[in-house]
Amino acid sequence: MALPILAGAIVLSSFLSEKRPHRFPYREAGLTERQAAAHLISRFTYGATPGQVDEVIKMGLEKWFRQQLDATLPDDSLQAMLDQYDALKLSNAQIAGTFPKNGQVIRMAIRDGYVDKDSVKTDRKAYRDILKKYMDEKGYRPEQELFRQLYCQKILRAAYSQNQLKEVMTNFWFNHFNVSITKNDCAEFIPAYERDVIRPGSLGRFADLLKATAHSPAMLYYLDNFSSSGPVDSTRPMQKPRKAQGLNENYARELMELHTLGVDGGYTQEDVTQAAKVLTGWTVRQGDFLFAPQRHDGSGKLVLGKRFGPDGGYEEGEQLLDMLAHHPSTAHFISRKIAIRFVSDDPPATLVNKMTKTFKDKDGDIREVLLTMVSAPEFWSSAAIREKTKSPFELAMGAVRSLRAHVNQPFQLYNWVTRMGEKMYFYQAPTGFPDKGQFWINTGSLLNRMNFGLALATGRIPGLSFDLAVLNNNHEPESAQAALETYCRIIMPERDLDQTIRRLTPMLTDPTEARVVGIIIGSPEYQRR
Amino acid sequence: MVTRRGFLKGGGLALLGVGLMGGIPGFLAEAAANDRIVRPYQRRKVLVCIFQRGAMDGLMAVTPFTDTYLQTARPTLFISGAKAGNTRPLIDLDGKWGLHPSMQSFEPLYKDKRLAIVHGIGSPNHTRSHFDAQDYMESGTPFNKGTSSGWLNRAVGLLGHDALTPFTAVSLTSALPRCFYGDNPSVAISNLQDFGIRMRGNPSAAGKVASSFEELYDQTSPGLLKETGKESFEAMKMLQKTNTRNYRPDNNAVYPNSPLGNSLKQIAQLIKMDVGLEIAFTESNGWDTHFNQGAADGIFARNVADLSNSITAFWTDLSAYQDDVTVMTMTEFGRTVRQNGTGGTDHGRASCNFILGNDVNGGIVHGRVETLAVETLEDGRDLAVTTDFRAVFSEVADKHLQLGNDSLLFPDWNGSKIGVMT
Repeated sequence: MALPILAGAIVLSSFLSEKRPHRFPYREAGLTERQAAAHLISRFTYGATPGQVDEVIKMGLEKWFRQQLDATLPDDSLQAMLDQYDALKLSNAQIAGTFPKNGQVIRMAIRDGYVDKDSVKTDRKAYRDILKKYMDEKGYRPEQELFRQLYCQKILRAAYSQNQLKEVMTNFWFNHFNVSITKNDCAEFIPAYERDVIRPGSLGRFADLLKATAHSPAMLYYLDNFSSSGPVDSTRPMQKPRKAQGLNENYARELMELHTLGVDGGYTQEDVTQAAKVLTGWTVRQGDFLFAPQRHDGSGKLVLGKRFGPDGGYEEGEQLLDMLAHHPSTAHFISRKIAIRFVSDDPPATLVNKMTKTFKDKDGDIREVLLTMVSAPEFWSSAAIREKTKSPFELAMGAVRSLRAHVNQPFQLYNWVTRMGEKMYFYQAPTGFPDKGQFWINTGSLLNRMNFGLALATGRIPGLSFDLAVLNNNHEPESAQAALETYCRIIMPERDLDQTIRRLTPMLTDPTEARVVGIIIGSPEYQRR
Repeated sequence: MVTRRGFLKGGGLALLGVGLMGGIPGFLAEAAANDRIVRPYQRRKVLVCIFQRGAMDGLMAVTPFTDTYLQTARPTLFISGAKAGNTRPLIDLDGKWGLHPSMQSFEPLYKDKRLAIVHGIGSPNHTRSHFDAQDYMESGTPFNKGTSSGWLNRAVGLLGHDALTPFTAVSLTSALPRCFYGDNPSVAISNLQDFGIRMRGNPSAAGKVASSFEELYDQTSPGLLKETGKESFEAMKMLQKTNTRNYRPDNNAVYPNSPLGNSLKQIAQLIKMDVGLEIAFTESNGWDTHFNQGAADGIFARNVADLSNSITAFWTDLSAYQDDVTVMTMTEFGRTVRQNGTGGTDHGRASCNFILGNDVNGGIVHGRVETLAVETLEDGRDLAVTTDFRAVFSEVADKHLQLGNDSLLFPDWNGSKIGVMT
């Protein structure tokens, strides 16, 4: 564990010595330091905690940002919370041995003589009881429990990690390299995928991250490359439909369209087919990557004008991924996607071009690309301020952070986030959730955002608690009006709140602070970041 | 970007001088001013799609009961067309096809030529993975994972007018289904009763809070949040006009107390409320019958009873609206011809589906199903796919909703229709 951290520190020190503008150019955009700090926090964390604007100003915006890029702040209290989730440390093989899939459990129970195969699913109650007994005795646990731990750790990390940017980037890259629990075959590999592939690579070099995803069981199953093989004898009749039969282009296509070049990145269907051949034999055994030479297509291939093979074996795939990671279309596609995440749904081309140049010059170093973005005036322009709409997860986490709430049952928040339209880890398509306001905001989801604010503030989310008085340094606001103004400013620092406050004032005839807070969280202003 | 819905074009209610005070819902009043709509209150056609997740055994739902190969392949699962002892026989449709005895409520609809069946329907992609097959059937592109939109969302875009209300496309599910992904307005609602501002145990406070929210959203700067806020509150008021909690179906229709029955009941309410519904989606689970699926009775029988009774109740409830409504079922693939070692069937290829409506070419089992000898089966084991699902989906959607652009609805497909609609 010590090694990667050390390596990270070395990279960072060289990186800090780079000549960079001393200050982020926010004054030129007409922002005060406080406004700039609030903007910075709103984009690179899951929401400002009370007083955080002051902390960031005290430290200096630039230093704070570099600290976030470094992502080595101690997270002891978070770690203590995560310790209750025992599955988080398991390997894929251990997970498979502990959390068998439902269908597997039935087959094993029949095999072991616990269940008579003629009774399966006929008498539901009795049958379920036997299955439960079987699982208890064998030490098996339901797969649901594994996923629940996955959701809960994500929520706790977003709410409490000091290294907020790392969590934001983990979310960004997971969505970029999306895999989905809806695909049963890949579901059990997802916890390790996020832990071992996405999070460690989230602030590294793009090529490394791309390669790590290409080797991951979750991705190999999700986009079917595990089954892709070179030519097989098609005259043989099949007893069972073999999953491992012939070429499967799914991964190769999404690798180009979604992971690297982008749909207009300049490749053809023939490139997809040829790339798929390059990647034949990349498969999974016992929860780990395996290159199976006998499944690899040994012929010569041509992808985007570059020759691979014949008989280049595993190295062909490495070379292909390297080529794609370093392609100019990739630099542009990834830079634009990062700008969409952090600046606006339609980021200016001038900004994207600067980031693209850094991506190319710095070998796809994600931290360098982020630093270029924040150092550009476009990041601070009025067109970017509060231009992004919070996703349901960002809204929920932002509310927890705004109120310094204690989350004792994170799964309750998971359910709320689902209700607001973001069923995390379940987005079925490899595109990931669309990163645009229009996707998140519709009639049903908007009403649920308001309901979320009310439920949270009025104590109707089990296991979630906060103390409004403590937020205000134990000063009781002297009037209802004062309470409204105070909490508005604590929850939404550095915003123009006059209108919100004016609109909420009539509400004070029926004053409960909690309800006012609920309305603040459900308000249009709070949906923006 | 700001004008994503047609009914919001033109500056809002103020221009018309009518608002909610006048008793006319804002968006309908607005629709009246929209010159593309000739008669604002004209009822619209509604397509209701039901996804049977898990892959329905089409050969047990609608059985070629004279096929001796099938009888041999399914020693305990085959249901006879002839009554023997206490077991219920299949419902003989035409001397060749028999409907599962638990689907007796479908028999009159079939005889009345409103219900059509397509047999041998499936995907050109041979995958037998639930995930992949559902994904392909919902995106409508059986060889492309990366298609970002779903076919029903694309159908919304082909309706020929902007979405008139927030309820143009509604999925009665907790999350947006793959077939609804895309840029056209669509919404997932798990329960109509939840569509509103809720303060448990304090309805009067809820009302006050709702109006505060409404004002806040009304006063916010123009854009997505303001517009959607306005729509949300209008939609909420629309639903509040009807007592969704104590809904009484017409014609003594009795919906099964099941997730599917409840979803269809809510879709019926939306249709009767005239809130602009045109495309509805819901799903039914439990079709992955690897174990002891039963025959005339058992798991499968309960599933098809729920399916047919839910659809029939819906149809009965909507008797005054039947000309406008078409219902279509779909499932990702069928199951093996031969029963397995655990009294069930494994993942196969073709299945069948049901289409109900007054514009349906009903009373017919469409499609082509060969005798189930091993040599006619796909991979020597499965009912072969002889009708591409896109042929049926596009014909039904196209004819019923007048979409008129198959190449946008199902890119990469240019096959012909099979005559399932009149």
